[in-house]
Amino acid sequence: MLNPLRSEQEAFRFLLYVATIVIAITVVVLVVRALT
Amino acid sequence: MEASAASLHAGAGAHVEHEHHGPPEAHRSSRVEPQLLGMLLFIISEVMVFGAFFTAYFFIRVVDPSPWPAHGTDLPKIIAGFNTAVLLSSSVTVHWALEGVKRGNRFALKAGMLTTFFLGATFLFVQINEYVHIGFAPSNSAQASIFFGLTGLHGAHVFIGLCLLAFVNIRAFRGHFSPEQHRGVEVPGIYWHFVDVMWVIVYTTVYLL
Repeated sequence: MLNPLRSEQEAFRFLLYVATIVIAITVVVLVVRALT
Repeated sequence: MEASAASLHAGAGAHVEHEHHGPPEAHRSSRVEPQLLGMLLFIISEVMVFGAFFTAYFFIRVVDPSPWPAHGTDLPKIIAGFNTAVLLSSSVTVHWALEGVKRGNRFALKAGMLTTFFLGATFLFVQINEYVHIGFAPSNSAQASIFFGLTGLHGAHVFIGLCLLAFVNIRAFRGHFSPEQHRGVEVPGIYWHFVDVMWVIVYTTVYLL
């Protein structure tokens, strides 16, 4: 289980996961908005 | 009373035990180092503060019928996007610095920490410049208030991070830290990644969506 507050390495990996997920959600929302 | 009793014991040739001076020793976790625990609790509390500000933001977005951004205003998405790239890069450099110190690479530690500091300072400078030229004030509307509130709260956290990074830089250039002892790099590194995560969420929700 990833704990971003346990070490810097895990915090960095958490940042990468969050950035990936947020980019994906943003792209989906913007595409849906553009199509509707 | 105790002093005279102690002198009586001393006079009799018995060993006198020194009284305990100062406050009692602090309790420590058997699982988490105190410095890490301190930062862990601080970050958790700051996540709650951000949560409160995000609640206000989403309340205004959902309940207020006014458009976002407010009519007649424009949010500088591209400049903020550049700032996002700057802050993400600074997380990469602080990670590089920490990986460097774990391997005994002092060049990576010093170069990484210095670059992280300057990237963070660049972010703050661009943010302040954006505030100056954005064209609306916090008092103009609810949307303006929460925009400045949320981004300003984040900016304050960046400033705190820069203070921590300044200390790390000073110590790194003084020869501190080793592969065995680098808590002073790790803990500010965790905080810096937290600041970056917050910005990614602030940027996408406030500027893009």
